Amino acid sequence: MIEVQHLTKRYGRVTAVDDVTFRVERGEILGFLGPNGAGKTTTMRVLTGYLPATSGRAIVAGFDVFDQPLEAKRRTGYLPETPPLYPEMTVREYLGFVAQIKGVPAGERKGRVDASMEKARVTDMAARHCGKLSKGYRQRVGLAQALIHNPDVLILDEPTAGLDPKQIIETRELIKHLAGDHTVILSTHILPEVAQTCQRVVIINRGRVVAVDTPANLTRRLGGAQTMYVQVDGASENAPAALQRIAGITRIAEIDRQDGIVGYEVDSEAGRDLRGEIARVVVTSGWGLLELRPVRMSLEDIFLQLTTEEHSGEAAIQ
Amino acid sequence: MTNIWAIVRKEWNGYFASPIGYVVVGMYAIVFGYFYTVGLSWFIRQSMQAPQMGGGSVNVNQQMIRYVFLNSTVIFLFVVPLITMRTYAEEKRSGTIELLMTSPVTDFQIVMGKFLGAMSLYMAMLAITLVHMAVLFKYGSPEWKPIASGYLGLVLLGGCFVSVGLFFSSLTKNQIVAGMFTFAVLLLLWVIDWVGSFSGPSVERITSYLSLTGHVEDFLRGIVDTMHVVYYLSFIAFGLFLTAKAVDSERWRG
Repeated sequence: MIEVQHLTKRYGRVTAVDDVTFRVERGEILGFLGPNGAGKTTTMRVLTGYLPATSGRAIVAGFDVFDQPLEAKRRTGYLPETPPLYPEMTVREYLGFVAQIKGVPAGERKGRVDASMEKARVTDMAARHCGKLSKGYRQRVGLAQALIHNPDVLILDEPTAGLDPKQIIETRELIKHLAGDHTVILSTHILPEVAQTCQRVVIINRGRVVAVDTPANLTRRLGGAQTMYVQVDGASENAPAALQRIAGITRIAEIDRQDGIVGYEVDSEAGRDLRGEIARVVVTSGWGLLELRPVRMSLEDIFLQLTTEEHSGEAAIQ
Repeated sequence: MTNIWAIVRKEWNGYFASPIGYVVVGMYAIVFGYFYTVGLSWFIRQSMQAPQMGGGSVNVNQQMIRYVFLNSTVIFLFVVPLITMRTYAEEKRSGTIELLMTSPVTDFQIVMGKFLGAMSLYMAMLAITLVHMAVLFKYGSPEWKPIASGYLGLVLLGGCFVSVGLFFSSLTKNQIVAGMFTFAVLLLLWVIDWVGSFSGPSVERITSYLSLTGHVEDFLRGIVDTMHVVYYLSFIAFGLFLTAKAVDSERWRG
Protein backbone atom coordinates (compact mmCIF):
# COMPACT_ATOMS: atom_id res chain seq x y z
CA MET A 1 0.00 0.00 0.00
CA ILE A 2 2.88 2.32 0.82
CA GLU A 3 6.26 1.84 -0.68
CA VAL A 4 9.22 4.03 0.10
CA GLN A 5 12.39 3.45 -1.88
CA HIS A 6 15.73 5.04 -1.13
CA LEU A 7 14.12 8.23 0.01
CA THR A 8 16.49 11.09 0.74
CA LYS A 9 15.61 14.62 1.73
CA ARG A 10 18.19 17.34 2.19
CA TYR A 11 17.63 20.85 3.45
CA GLY A 12 20.62 22.71 2.10
CA ARG A 13 23.53 20.81 3.58
CA VAL A 14 21.52 19.09 6.29
CA THR A 15 20.32 15.61 5.44
CA ALA A 16 17.04 15.07 7.25
CA VAL A 17 16.18 11.71 5.71
CA ASP A 18 18.90 9.50 4.34
CA ASP A 19 18.16 6.58 2.01
CA VAL A 20 15.05 5.34 3.80
CA THR A 21 13.35 2.24 2.40
CA PHE A 22 10.33 0.44 3.80
CA ARG A 23 6.95 -1.00 2.84
CA VAL A 24 3.59 -1.04 4.51
CA GLU A 25 1.07 -3.70 3.57
CA ARG A 26 -2.65 -3.05 3.19
CA GLY A 27 -4.46 -2.86 6.51
CA GLU A 28 -1.30 -2.75 8.55
CA ILE A 29 -0.35 -0.30 11.30
CA LEU A 30 3.24 0.74 11.03
CA GLY A 31 4.93 2.54 13.89
CA PHE A 32 7.49 5.09 13.01
CA LEU A 33 9.75 5.41 15.96
CA GLY A 34 12.63 7.69 16.63
CA PRO A 35 13.94 10.42 18.87
CA ASN A 36 12.93 14.02 18.15
CA GLY A 37 14.61 15.30 15.02
CA ALA A 38 15.17 11.81 13.61
CA GLY A 39 13.37 12.61 10.36
CA LYS A 40 9.93 11.17 11.12
CA THR A 41 8.01 14.31 10.28
CA THR A 42 10.06 14.95 7.16
CA THR A 43 9.39 11.42 5.89
CA MET A 44 5.69 11.84 6.53
CA ARG A 45 5.66 15.19 4.78
CA VAL A 46 7.20 13.59 1.72
CA LEU A 47 4.62 10.80 1.82
CA THR A 48 1.77 13.30 1.97
CA GLY A 49 3.15 15.33 -0.91
CA TYR A 50 3.84 18.38 1.24
CA LEU A 51 7.56 18.24 0.51
CA PRO A 52 9.28 16.83 -2.54
CA ALA A 53 12.04 14.31 -1.93
CA THR A 54 15.59 15.13 -2.95
CA SER A 55 15.89 11.64 -4.39
CA GLY A 56 14.12 8.33 -4.15
CA ARG A 57 10.49 7.38 -4.64
CA ALA A 58 7.41 7.15 -2.51
CA ILE A 59 4.32 5.32 -3.73
CA VAL A 60 1.10 5.71 -1.79
CA ALA A 61 -1.97 3.65 -2.69
CA GLY A 62 -0.41 2.85 -6.04
CA PHE A 63 0.41 6.43 -7.02
CA ASP A 64 3.78 8.10 -7.00
CA VAL A 65 3.47 11.12 -4.70
CA PHE A 66 5.63 13.20 -6.97
CA ASP A 67 4.31 12.22 -10.40
CA GLN A 68 0.64 11.87 -9.53
CA PRO A 69 0.27 14.01 -6.42
CA LEU A 70 -3.47 14.61 -6.72
CA GLU A 71 -4.32 10.94 -7.01
CA ALA A 72 -2.09 10.07 -4.07
CA LYS A 73 -3.45 12.93 -1.96
CA ARG A 74 -7.03 11.90 -2.68
CA ARG A 75 -6.28 8.59 -0.96
CA THR A 76 -4.30 9.93 1.97
CA GLY A 77 -5.48 11.34 5.28
CA TYR A 78 -2.91 13.29 7.19
CA LEU A 79 -2.75 14.54 10.73
CA PRO A 80 0.25 16.86 11.02
CA GLU A 81 2.08 17.42 14.27
CA THR A 82 -0.07 20.45 15.05
CA PRO A 83 -3.67 19.85 13.94
CA PRO A 84 -4.31 22.29 11.06
CA LEU A 85 -7.43 23.98 12.42
CA TYR A 86 -8.96 27.31 11.47
CA PRO A 87 -9.75 28.94 14.82
CA GLU A 88 -12.68 30.97 13.49
CA MET A 89 -14.59 27.98 12.13
CA THR A 90 -16.81 25.70 14.15
CA VAL A 91 -15.87 22.04 14.15
CA ARG A 92 -18.71 21.23 11.77
CA GLU A 93 -17.86 24.07 9.38
CA TYR A 94 -14.23 23.08 9.47
CA LEU A 95 -14.89 19.43 8.67
CA GLY A 96 -17.31 20.52 5.94
CA PHE A 97 -14.57 22.64 4.39
CA VAL A 98 -12.03 19.83 4.59
CA ALA A 99 -14.53 17.40 3.04
CA GLN A 100 -14.94 19.84 0.18
CA ILE A 101 -11.25 20.28 -0.59
CA LYS A 102 -10.60 16.56 -0.15
CA GLY A 103 -13.06 15.98 -2.96
CA VAL A 104 -15.96 14.37 -1.10
CA PRO A 105 -19.01 14.68 -3.41
CA ALA A 106 -21.56 17.26 -2.24
CA GLY A 107 -24.25 14.71 -1.50
CA GLU A 108 -22.05 12.65 0.81
CA ARG A 109 -20.46 15.50 2.72
CA LYS A 110 -22.87 15.75 5.60
CA GLY A 111 -22.80 12.02 6.15
CA ARG A 112 -19.00 11.91 6.08
CA VAL A 113 -18.73 14.84 8.50
CA ASP A 114 -21.07 13.14 10.94
CA ALA A 115 -19.37 9.78 10.59
CA SER A 116 -15.89 11.11 11.19
CA MET A 117 -17.03 13.23 14.13
CA GLU A 118 -18.56 10.07 15.53
CA LYS A 119 -15.37 8.08 15.02
CA ALA A 120 -13.12 10.69 16.56
CA ARG A 121 -15.71 11.33 19.33
CA VAL A 122 -16.04 15.06 18.78
CA THR A 123 -19.78 15.11 18.02
CA ASP A 124 -20.53 17.00 21.23
CA MET A 125 -18.17 19.77 20.10
CA ALA A 126 -19.71 20.18 16.63
CA ALA A 127 -20.86 23.76 17.24
CA ARG A 128 -17.75 24.87 19.13
CA HIS A 129 -15.18 27.11 17.42
CA CYS A 130 -11.94 25.30 16.71
CA GLY A 131 -9.97 28.07 18.42
CA LYS A 132 -11.77 27.37 21.69
CA LEU A 133 -11.08 23.64 21.88
CA SER A 134 -8.81 22.03 24.45
CA LYS A 135 -5.62 20.38 23.28
CA GLY A 136 -7.19 16.93 23.42
CA TYR A 137 -10.15 17.95 21.31
CA ARG A 138 -7.95 19.75 18.80
CA GLN A 139 -6.04 16.55 18.32
CA ARG A 140 -9.24 14.60 17.84
CA VAL A 141 -10.72 17.09 15.40
CA GLY A 142 -7.41 16.75 13.56
CA LEU A 143 -8.00 13.02 13.45
CA ALA A 144 -11.59 13.51 12.25
CA GLN A 145 -10.22 15.73 9.50
CA ALA A 146 -7.81 13.01 8.40
CA LEU A 147 -10.66 10.46 8.23
CA ILE A 148 -13.15 12.64 6.42
CA HIS A 149 -12.69 11.30 2.90
CA ASN A 150 -12.35 7.72 4.09
CA PRO A 151 -8.77 7.46 2.77
CA ASP A 152 -6.94 4.22 2.07
CA VAL A 153 -3.89 5.52 3.85
CA LEU A 154 -3.71 7.40 7.13
CA ILE A 155 -0.56 9.22 8.11
CA LEU A 156 -0.61 10.37 11.70
CA ASP A 157 2.20 12.45 13.11
CA GLU A 158 2.26 11.89 16.88
CA PRO A 159 -1.49 11.38 17.19
CA THR A 160 -1.37 11.05 20.98
CA ALA A 161 0.83 14.07 21.71
CA GLY A 162 -0.74 16.33 24.29
CA LEU A 163 -3.55 13.98 25.29
CA ASP A 164 -4.27 12.86 28.83
CA PRO A 165 -3.81 9.16 29.70
CA LYS A 166 -7.47 8.28 29.19
CA GLN A 167 -7.57 9.99 25.80
CA ILE A 168 -4.33 8.30 24.82
CA ILE A 169 -5.87 4.89 25.45
CA GLU A 170 -9.03 5.87 23.53
CA THR A 171 -7.02 7.17 20.61
CA ARG A 172 -4.91 4.02 20.44
CA GLU A 173 -8.07 1.92 20.46
CA LEU A 174 -9.49 4.05 17.68
CA ILE A 175 -6.34 3.64 15.59
CA LYS A 176 -6.43 -0.13 16.09
CA HIS A 177 -10.02 -0.13 14.90
CA LEU A 178 -9.06 1.82 11.81
CA ALA A 179 -6.51 -0.76 10.70
CA GLY A 180 -7.95 -3.23 8.24
CA ASP A 181 -10.02 -0.64 6.41
CA HIS A 182 -7.13 1.77 6.36
CA THR A 183 -3.40 1.42 6.20
CA VAL A 184 -1.87 3.45 8.97
CA ILE A 185 1.52 4.98 9.58
CA LEU A 186 1.90 6.65 12.93
CA SER A 187 4.94 8.32 14.33
CA THR A 188 5.77 8.57 17.96
CA HIS A 189 8.63 8.75 20.35
CA ILE A 190 6.69 6.88 23.00
CA LEU A 191 7.72 3.25 22.91
CA PRO A 192 4.88 1.46 24.67
CA GLU A 193 2.58 3.06 22.14
CA VAL A 194 4.29 1.16 19.37
CA ALA A 195 4.27 -2.10 21.29
CA GLN A 196 0.55 -1.72 21.93
CA THR A 197 -0.77 -0.47 18.62
CA CYS A 198 1.57 -1.39 15.81
CA GLN A 199 2.12 -4.57 13.91
CA ARG A 200 5.47 -3.45 12.63
CA VAL A 201 8.00 -0.88 13.68
CA VAL A 202 10.46 1.20 11.72
CA ILE A 203 13.07 2.65 13.99
CA ILE A 204 14.65 5.71 12.52
CA ASN A 205 17.54 7.71 13.88
CA ARG A 206 19.36 10.65 12.36
CA GLY A 207 17.47 10.14 9.13
CA ARG A 208 18.35 6.46 8.71
CA VAL A 209 16.34 3.34 9.25
CA VAL A 210 18.08 1.32 11.94
CA ALA A 211 15.56 -1.51 12.26
CA VAL A 212 12.31 -2.74 10.72
CA ASP A 213 10.46 -5.57 12.43
CA THR A 214 7.54 -6.54 14.62
CA PRO A 215 7.77 -5.29 18.19
CA ALA A 216 7.98 -8.91 19.44
CA ASN A 217 10.71 -9.87 16.99
CA LEU A 218 12.70 -6.83 17.83
CA THR A 219 12.59 -7.73 21.48
CA ARG A 220 13.63 -11.29 20.70
CA ARG A 221 16.26 -10.46 18.13
CA LEU A 222 17.95 -7.84 20.16
CA GLY A 223 17.51 -9.65 23.43
CA GLY A 224 20.75 -11.49 22.57
CA ALA A 225 21.97 -12.53 25.96
CA GLN A 226 19.28 -13.48 28.43
CA THR A 227 19.22 -11.67 31.70
CA MET A 228 17.88 -13.08 34.96
CA TYR A 229 17.17 -11.36 38.21
CA VAL A 230 17.98 -13.45 41.32
CA GLN A 231 17.20 -12.34 44.84
CA VAL A 232 18.65 -14.37 47.71
CA ASP A 233 18.49 -14.14 51.49
CA GLY A 234 21.49 -14.76 53.75
CA ALA A 235 23.99 -15.14 50.97
CA SER A 236 27.67 -15.19 51.90
CA GLU A 237 30.30 -13.04 50.26
CA ASN A 238 31.25 -15.79 47.83
CA ALA A 239 27.76 -16.05 46.34
CA PRO A 240 28.70 -14.38 43.02
CA ALA A 241 31.66 -16.67 42.66
CA ALA A 242 29.46 -19.71 43.37
CA LEU A 243 26.94 -18.67 40.71
CA GLN A 244 29.66 -17.83 38.25
CA ARG A 245 30.73 -21.49 38.31
CA ILE A 246 27.49 -22.50 36.58
CA ALA A 247 28.31 -23.23 32.95
CA GLY A 248 26.87 -20.66 30.55
CA ILE A 249 26.81 -17.69 32.86
CA THR A 250 28.65 -14.76 31.42
CA ARG A 251 28.20 -11.97 33.94
CA ILE A 252 26.98 -11.39 37.44
CA ALA A 253 26.33 -8.00 38.96
CA GLU A 254 24.97 -7.08 42.35
CA ILE A 255 22.26 -4.51 41.83
CA ASP A 256 20.65 -4.10 45.22
CA ARG A 257 21.26 -5.05 48.85
CA GLN A 258 19.04 -4.48 51.85
CA ASP A 259 19.00 -6.17 55.30
CA GLY A 260 21.00 -9.14 54.09
CA ILE A 261 18.81 -9.64 51.03
CA VAL A 262 20.86 -9.30 47.87
CA GLY A 263 19.70 -8.97 44.31
CA TYR A 264 21.91 -10.03 41.39
CA GLU A 265 21.53 -9.59 37.69
CA VAL A 266 22.79 -12.65 35.90
CA ASP A 267 23.50 -12.76 32.17
CA SER A 268 23.58 -16.11 30.46
CA GLU A 269 24.38 -17.19 26.94
CA ALA A 270 21.54 -16.81 24.50
CA GLY A 271 19.18 -19.73 24.15
CA ARG A 272 20.04 -21.44 27.45
CA ASP A 273 17.60 -21.52 30.28
CA LEU A 274 19.66 -21.69 33.45
CA ARG A 275 16.92 -20.98 35.94
CA GLY A 276 16.93 -24.55 37.28
CA GLU A 277 20.70 -24.53 37.71
CA ILE A 278 20.67 -21.21 39.50
CA ALA A 279 17.91 -22.31 41.85
CA ARG A 280 19.75 -25.53 42.68
CA VAL A 281 23.01 -23.72 43.47
CA VAL A 282 21.24 -21.20 45.67
CA VAL A 283 19.30 -23.81 47.62
CA THR A 284 22.18 -26.27 48.09
CA SER A 285 24.32 -23.43 49.40
CA GLY A 286 21.75 -22.92 52.12
CA TRP A 287 20.55 -19.47 51.08
CA GLY A 288 16.95 -18.50 50.73
CA LEU A 289 15.75 -18.07 47.15
CA LEU A 290 13.32 -15.15 47.25
CA GLU A 291 12.96 -14.32 43.59
CA LEU A 292 14.14 -15.65 40.27
CA ARG A 293 12.80 -14.15 37.07
CA PRO A 294 13.95 -13.39 33.56
CA VAL A 295 14.48 -9.72 32.83
CA ARG A 296 12.93 -9.03 29.42
CA MET A 297 14.60 -6.41 27.40
CA SER A 298 11.99 -3.72 26.86
CA LEU A 299 11.52 -1.82 23.67
CA GLU A 300 13.04 1.09 25.49
CA ASP A 301 16.31 -0.77 25.92
CA ILE A 302 16.27 -1.90 22.31
CA PHE A 303 15.58 1.57 21.17
CA LEU A 304 18.39 3.04 23.23
CA GLN A 305 20.70 0.30 22.12
CA LEU A 306 19.93 0.85 18.45
CA THR A 307 20.01 4.59 18.49
CA THR A 308 23.13 4.90 20.61
CA GLU A 309 24.96 2.22 18.63
CA GLU A 310 24.34 4.22 15.54
CA HIS A 311 25.50 7.29 17.33
CA SER A 312 28.79 5.84 18.52
CA GLY A 313 29.35 4.38 15.06
CA GLU A 314 29.08 7.81 13.49
CA ALA A 315 31.23 9.37 16.15
CA ALA A 316 33.94 6.85 15.31
CA ILE A 317 33.80 7.82 11.63
CA GLN A 318 34.17 11.47 12.45
CA MET B 1 -13.91 24.52 -9.61
CA THR B 2 -15.40 23.13 -6.39
CA ASN B 3 -11.99 23.51 -4.79
CA ILE B 4 -11.63 27.14 -5.78
CA TRP B 5 -15.14 27.87 -4.61
CA ALA B 6 -14.50 26.12 -1.27
CA ILE B 7 -11.45 28.28 -0.68
CA VAL B 8 -13.23 31.46 -1.76
CA ARG B 9 -15.96 30.75 0.77
CA LYS B 10 -13.44 29.95 3.49
CA GLU B 11 -11.61 33.23 2.84
CA TRP B 12 -14.82 35.23 2.78
CA ASN B 13 -16.04 33.68 6.04
CA GLY B 14 -12.59 34.27 7.51
CA TYR B 15 -12.86 38.00 6.84
CA PHE B 16 -16.17 38.26 8.58
CA ALA B 17 -15.38 35.89 11.44
CA SER B 18 -12.75 38.38 12.54
CA PRO B 19 -13.37 42.13 12.82
CA ILE B 20 -11.22 42.76 9.75
CA GLY B 21 -14.01 42.45 7.19
CA TYR B 22 -16.32 44.81 9.05
CA VAL B 23 -13.57 47.29 9.87
CA VAL B 24 -12.32 47.44 6.29
CA VAL B 25 -15.76 47.81 4.74
CA GLY B 26 -16.88 50.27 7.40
CA MET B 27 -13.80 52.46 7.13
CA TYR B 28 -14.08 52.49 3.37
CA ALA B 29 -17.72 53.53 3.62
CA ILE B 30 -16.87 56.43 5.93
CA VAL B 31 -13.95 57.76 3.91
CA PHE B 32 -15.71 57.30 0.60
CA GLY B 33 -18.75 59.04 2.04
CA TYR B 34 -16.58 62.00 2.96
CA PHE B 35 -15.05 62.21 -0.52
CA TYR B 36 -18.49 61.94 -2.04
CA THR B 37 -19.97 64.68 0.11
CA VAL B 38 -17.11 67.05 -0.63
CA GLY B 39 -17.25 66.23 -4.33
CA LEU B 40 -20.98 66.73 -4.45
CA SER B 41 -20.91 70.07 -2.61
CA TRP B 42 -18.20 71.30 -4.89
CA PHE B 43 -20.10 70.19 -7.94
CA ILE B 44 -23.32 71.84 -6.78
CA ARG B 45 -21.54 75.15 -6.25
CA GLN B 46 -19.95 74.87 -9.66
CA SER B 47 -23.24 74.13 -11.40
CA MET B 48 -24.86 77.16 -9.74
CA GLN B 49 -22.02 79.44 -10.80
CA ALA B 50 -21.64 78.10 -14.32
CA PRO B 51 -24.61 79.91 -15.94
CA GLN B 52 -23.64 83.23 -14.31
CA MET B 53 -20.08 82.88 -15.59
CA GLY B 54 -21.51 82.30 -19.03
CA GLY B 55 -20.09 78.78 -19.16
CA GLY B 56 -21.79 75.85 -20.81
CA SER B 57 -23.53 72.97 -19.17
CA VAL B 58 -21.91 70.99 -16.40
CA ASN B 59 -21.42 67.26 -16.48
CA VAL B 60 -21.78 65.26 -13.31
CA ASN B 61 -19.83 62.34 -14.74
CA GLN B 62 -16.79 64.29 -15.75
CA GLN B 63 -16.76 66.88 -13.03
CA MET B 64 -17.73 64.92 -10.00
CA ILE B 65 -17.96 61.11 -10.19
CA ARG B 66 -14.64 60.82 -11.96
CA TYR B 67 -12.79 62.68 -9.22
CA VAL B 68 -14.56 60.93 -6.39
CA PHE B 69 -13.58 57.56 -7.85
CA LEU B 70 -10.02 58.69 -8.46
CA ASN B 71 -9.68 59.89 -4.87
CA SER B 72 -11.19 56.72 -3.53
CA THR B 73 -8.41 54.65 -5.11
CA VAL B 74 -6.14 56.15 -2.43
CA ILE B 75 -8.22 54.35 0.19
CA PHE B 76 -7.56 51.05 -1.53
CA LEU B 77 -3.87 51.73 -1.31
CA PHE B 78 -4.20 51.53 2.45
CA VAL B 79 -6.96 48.98 2.73
CA VAL B 80 -5.87 46.25 0.32
CA PRO B 81 -2.65 45.43 2.23
CA LEU B 82 -4.85 44.91 5.28
CA ILE B 83 -7.04 42.50 3.35
CA THR B 84 -4.29 40.47 1.77
CA MET B 85 -1.64 40.40 4.47
CA ARG B 86 -3.12 37.44 6.27
CA THR B 87 -3.98 35.27 3.25
CA TYR B 88 -0.85 33.12 3.18
CA ALA B 89 1.12 34.45 6.15
CA GLU B 90 -1.50 33.36 8.66
CA GLU B 91 -1.85 29.89 7.15
CA LYS B 92 1.88 29.45 7.27
CA ARG B 93 2.12 30.62 10.84
CA SER B 94 -0.67 28.38 12.11
CA GLY B 95 0.28 25.38 9.98
CA THR B 96 -3.03 25.15 8.13
CA ILE B 97 -1.13 25.58 4.87
CA GLU B 98 -0.10 21.96 5.43
CA LEU B 99 -3.75 20.96 5.18
CA LEU B 100 -4.23 22.82 1.90
CA MET B 101 -1.04 21.52 0.40
CA THR B 102 -1.67 17.90 1.31
CA SER B 103 -5.20 18.03 -0.10
CA PRO B 104 -5.97 17.13 -3.70
CA VAL B 105 -5.91 20.80 -4.67
CA THR B 106 -3.42 22.41 -7.04
CA ASP B 107 -1.32 25.44 -6.09
CA PHE B 108 -3.15 27.35 -8.81
CA GLN B 109 -6.52 26.55 -7.25
CA ILE B 110 -5.31 27.76 -3.86
CA VAL B 111 -4.01 31.00 -5.36
CA MET B 112 -7.22 31.55 -7.33
CA GLY B 113 -9.35 30.82 -4.28
CA LYS B 114 -7.47 33.32 -2.20
CA PHE B 115 -7.46 35.90 -4.99
CA LEU B 116 -11.19 35.65 -5.58
CA GLY B 117 -11.81 35.61 -1.83
CA ALA B 118 -9.95 38.89 -1.40
CA MET B 119 -11.59 40.30 -4.53
CA SER B 120 -15.03 39.51 -3.18
CA LEU B 121 -14.31 41.61 -0.10
CA TYR B 122 -12.94 44.36 -2.36
CA MET B 123 -16.09 44.26 -4.44
CA ALA B 124 -18.20 44.34 -1.30
CA MET B 125 -16.51 47.66 -0.55
CA LEU B 126 -17.22 48.92 -4.05
CA ALA B 127 -20.80 47.74 -3.79
CA ILE B 128 -21.37 50.22 -0.98
CA THR B 129 -20.69 53.05 -3.39
CA LEU B 130 -23.63 51.93 -5.53
CA VAL B 131 -25.81 53.56 -2.89
CA HIS B 132 -24.08 56.89 -3.50
CA MET B 133 -24.54 56.50 -7.24
CA ALA B 134 -28.21 55.68 -6.76
CA VAL B 135 -28.65 59.02 -5.02
CA LEU B 136 -27.16 60.80 -8.03
CA PHE B 137 -29.50 58.94 -10.37
CA LYS B 138 -32.48 59.85 -8.23
CA TYR B 139 -31.79 63.58 -8.18
CA GLY B 140 -29.82 64.04 -11.36
CA SER B 141 -29.24 62.43 -14.68
CA PRO B 142 -25.71 61.05 -14.90
CA GLU B 143 -24.77 58.77 -17.77
CA TRP B 144 -24.44 55.16 -16.66
CA LYS B 145 -21.80 54.12 -19.17
CA PRO B 146 -18.85 56.11 -17.77
CA ILE B 147 -19.88 54.91 -14.31
CA ALA B 148 -19.86 51.29 -15.44
CA SER B 149 -16.47 51.69 -17.09
CA GLY B 150 -15.23 53.41 -13.93
CA TYR B 151 -16.26 50.43 -11.85
CA LEU B 152 -14.58 48.11 -14.32
CA GLY B 153 -11.38 50.14 -13.97
CA LEU B 154 -11.57 50.05 -10.20
CA VAL B 155 -12.11 46.28 -10.16
CA LEU B 156 -9.11 45.75 -12.43
CA LEU B 157 -6.99 48.11 -10.36
CA GLY B 158 -8.06 46.28 -7.21
CA GLY B 159 -7.10 42.98 -8.82
CA CYS B 160 -3.57 44.30 -9.29
CA PHE B 161 -3.40 45.46 -5.68
CA VAL B 162 -4.63 42.11 -4.44
CA SER B 163 -2.20 40.12 -6.58
CA VAL B 164 0.71 42.16 -5.18
CA GLY B 165 -0.63 41.58 -1.68
CA LEU B 166 -0.96 37.84 -2.16
CA PHE B 167 2.56 37.63 -3.44
CA PHE B 168 4.08 39.33 -0.40
CA SER B 169 1.89 37.35 1.94
CA SER B 170 3.17 34.14 0.38
CA LEU B 171 6.75 35.10 1.17
CA THR B 172 6.50 35.40 4.93
CA LYS B 173 4.87 34.04 8.06
CA ASN B 174 4.54 37.54 9.42
CA GLN B 175 1.39 39.46 8.52
CA ILE B 176 2.87 42.86 9.36
CA VAL B 177 5.87 42.28 7.11
CA ALA B 178 3.56 41.15 4.31
CA GLY B 179 1.33 44.20 4.78
CA MET B 180 4.20 46.69 4.87
CA PHE B 181 5.87 45.29 1.76
CA THR B 182 2.58 45.34 -0.10
CA PHE B 183 1.92 48.90 0.91
CA ALA B 184 5.42 50.06 -0.01
CA VAL B 185 5.34 48.42 -3.43
CA LEU B 186 1.85 49.67 -4.23
CA LEU B 187 2.85 53.16 -3.22
CA LEU B 188 5.93 53.01 -5.43
CA LEU B 189 3.93 51.75 -8.40
CA TRP B 190 1.47 54.53 -7.69
CA VAL B 191 3.98 57.33 -7.93
CA ILE B 192 6.49 55.78 -10.31
CA ASP B 193 5.50 58.21 -13.07
CA TRP B 194 6.79 61.16 -11.01
CA VAL B 195 10.28 60.14 -11.87
CA GLY B 196 9.42 60.18 -15.55
CA SER B 197 8.68 63.89 -15.62
CA PHE B 198 12.33 64.76 -15.04
CA SER B 199 14.04 61.93 -16.84
CA GLY B 200 13.44 62.44 -20.49
CA PRO B 201 10.74 61.16 -22.80
CA SER B 202 11.78 57.49 -23.06
CA VAL B 203 11.87 56.96 -19.28
CA GLU B 204 8.63 58.85 -18.99
CA ARG B 205 6.94 56.50 -21.41
CA ILE B 206 8.07 53.47 -19.45
CA THR B 207 7.23 54.83 -16.03
CA SER B 208 3.85 56.10 -17.05
CA TYR B 209 3.11 52.70 -18.54
CA LEU B 210 4.08 51.00 -15.29
CA SER B 211 2.10 53.39 -13.13
CA LEU B 212 -0.96 51.61 -11.76
CA THR B 213 -3.09 54.74 -11.53
CA GLY B 214 -2.22 56.13 -14.92
CA HIS B 215 -4.19 53.33 -16.51
CA VAL B 216 -7.31 53.84 -14.46
CA GLU B 217 -7.90 57.43 -15.57
CA ASP B 218 -9.25 56.51 -18.99
CA PHE B 219 -11.72 54.09 -17.42
CA LEU B 220 -12.99 56.87 -15.18
CA ARG B 221 -13.45 59.13 -18.20
CA GLY B 222 -15.58 56.44 -19.76
CA ILE B 223 -13.02 54.97 -22.11
CA VAL B 224 -12.41 51.24 -22.10
CA ASP B 225 -9.12 50.90 -23.92
CA THR B 226 -7.90 47.38 -24.58
CA MET B 227 -4.35 48.52 -23.85
CA HIS B 228 -5.31 49.24 -20.27
CA VAL B 229 -7.35 46.07 -19.92
CA VAL B 230 -4.41 44.05 -21.17
CA TYR B 231 -2.07 45.90 -18.84
CA TYR B 232 -4.20 45.13 -15.80
CA LEU B 233 -4.97 41.54 -16.71
CA SER B 234 -1.34 40.74 -17.41
CA PHE B 235 -0.31 42.46 -14.18
CA ILE B 236 -2.80 40.30 -12.24
CA ALA B 237 -1.77 37.12 -14.04
CA PHE B 238 1.88 37.84 -13.40
CA GLY B 239 1.25 38.52 -9.71
CA LEU B 240 -0.69 35.29 -9.28
CA PHE B 241 1.93 33.36 -11.20
CA LEU B 242 4.67 34.67 -8.92
CA THR B 243 2.58 33.80 -5.88
CA ALA B 244 2.07 30.23 -7.05
CA LYS B 245 5.77 29.93 -7.77
CA ALA B 246 6.70 31.38 -4.38
CA VAL B 247 4.49 28.81 -2.66
CA ASP B 248 5.96 26.02 -4.74
CA SER B 249 9.55 27.12 -4.17
CA GLU B 250 8.94 27.07 -0.43
CA ARG B 251 8.45 23.32 -0.71
CA TRP B 252 11.80 22.83 -2.30
CA ARG B 253 13.56 24.99 0.22
CA GLY B 254 11.71 23.16 2.98
